Order: sequence, then structure tokens, then C-alpha cells
Amino acid sequence: MNRFLLAGAAAALLVSTTASFSQTKLSRNEIINSLQGAQQEVDISADALQKAAIDNIQKYPGANSPNSLPLADKLASLRQFNVEITFHFDSANIAPESYETVGLIADALHTPYLAGQTFFIVGHTDAKGTREYNLELSIKRAQAVREALVTTFQVPGEYLFAVGLGEEQLRDPANPDAAVNRRVQLINLGYK
Amino acid sequence: MKFRKLAIATSILLLSSSAAFSQTVGFAEAIKMLAASCGKDIHAHCQSASLANNGIMTCLDKNQSKVSQKCNADRVVVIGLIQARLAAQAEVAKICNRDMAQYCKGVKPGAGHMLRCLLKAQPSVSNKCNTAIDLAGYR
Repeated sequence: MNRFLLAGAAAALLVSTTASFSQTKLSRNEIINSLQGAQQEVDISADALQKAAIDNIQKYPGANSPNSLPLADKLASLRQFNVEITFHFDSANIAPESYETVGLIADALHTPYLAGQTFFIVGHTDAKGTREYNLELSIKRAQAVREALVTTFQVPGEYLFAVGLGEEQLRDPANPDAAVNRRVQLINLGYK
Repeated sequence: MKFRKLAIATSILLLSSSAAFSQTVGFAEAIKMLAASCGKDIHAHCQSASLANNGIMTCLDKNQSKVSQKCNADRVVVIGLIQARLAAQAEVAKICNRDMAQYCKGVKPGAGHMLRCLLKAQPSVSNKCNTAIDLAGYR
């Protein structure tokens, strides 16, 4: 594992920092390699990010958001990772099918490579349903993931912030209803 | 499977008495056991319970007469596995204190630099520190 992570750290500096989906079975080391090496000081609070999403709906009401969030550009440069987490229908309760994924995130966050750094847990939905409903659901789901990490797996809560962006920051705006938009995004804000 | 569970349970008992023992499992592997053994029961009886804050465990406990025998047995094992890994992670820094001072002087703490140093120095590092690193799941 140590050689893999040393190589991964070097490789991480060379490859793009844009978020990626896991194509094969997700592993703890894949999460670590995507999240470690936070270089930049980015001064965004979770509250500001959450407010930006709420404001976006008020400023541009309608079925779909006409643009992406301005803060998203700042976040795009940060070390990050997307996972798919299954919840019971219309709820914020994590389905057993995704317990392992949450456990892998806990495993990664517990390693010295990531411990003590600040992370945003960002919930996203697809565009089906109203923007307000999706925002609310994504907030509850991000909080559910955070709560599981903090209580079930004892990841220190002072470093984890849950934010819901609903359908305001679609991964694939050309296909707003596509499954690829339904994700939980982990973003490393570095040491604060 | 039964032998493996007995071995793990024994390991947990030995851990709590501070004796040396063979291994712990990671959080993903532990909680995966819960999903495997109790997934059906969770879908049947605990859909409105949260994984967080002991929600699922409390729900399964409340419904234990309806829940499968395997689930009732394994949900207890899972709690023990998580505790064992947490305990191992909590004590690795203390156990490796002298090795860090000896082999990793001047290494900047944070971002896993100390750990990388200890992993690199594995042949020289004390047995108890190497074991602690293994048990914490950090190798």
C-alpha cells in the first residue's frame, strides 16, 4: 500500500484535479489518492456554498437552473471525488447496498494522509422534480452521510461539512435527468 | 465462517486485555458484513432507520424476534470489529512515538509524512510499532 500511495501522490500532481467516477470496484486507496495532496488555500465556507445554491433558485426560478454556481469554479480546482450512494426511495436513509461505500470513505478519512483536513460532503440530485425539493433532499442526504461518518465510524465531526446543491450544479447539464448527476461529492479543503 | 467469527471474537477479547493479536478489519469490511447479513431484514423492518446514531442497530434489536439468526449474531460482531479498528488507530501514535523520534526526526507532521517515513523504515522500526501500524490498517 505504501508504494502505491507514494506513486499515487506523484501521479496525482501530474493528472488533472477534476472529479472522476470510479469505473471499477471502489477502493479506499482510490479515494485517498483522489483526495490527498490538497495544495491550494481556498477560502470558501460551507455556509457560503449552501447559500449560493439557495440564492440561485431565488434569483433564477424555473424548472431548471440556467447556469452553474459561480463558487463552483473555485471548487473545481480542489482535490475531490464523486461516489454514488443509494438511499431508500424519497428518503435520506442510506440503503444497505451503500454501507460499504460509506465505510470506505471512513477508512480513507481515518488514514494519516487525510486526517485533520477539512472536507465538504456535497449532495447532488438529478433534475427530476422541483429545484426546491431537490435542494432539500440533497441537504438531508449529505447530512445523513456526514452523520454516519461521524457517529457510526467516529470520523471527527469538526472537519466535515454537509452541503446540498440539489440540481444546481449538474455533472452533466446536457442530460439533466441522467443518473450520473446523482452523486455525493467529497471535496478536500485542506488544513484550516 | 464460524471459525473465522470465533477467531475475530477471540481477537477482540485479547485486544481488550492488551495482549498481542493478529488482525483487525477496516470499516468498509465490517459494515459490509452488516449489509450482507442484515440487508434483507433492514429492507423489511428498518427502512425508516438511519445508519447513523445507532438507528439501524436499535431497529434490528427492537425487531430481533423477526430478524434472521445470522443477522442477530453478526450485528454484534460488526460493532466489535469497528471498535477494534478504532482502538488500534487510537494507540498507534503512542506506540510508535520512540520509532518516530529515532527514524523520522525532522519529518513534518501532517498529510501522512510521518507514516510514510515509518513505512519506509519498516525493516528498522520496532516490532510493536510495525504491528500497531498493521492493526490500525495503515500499511
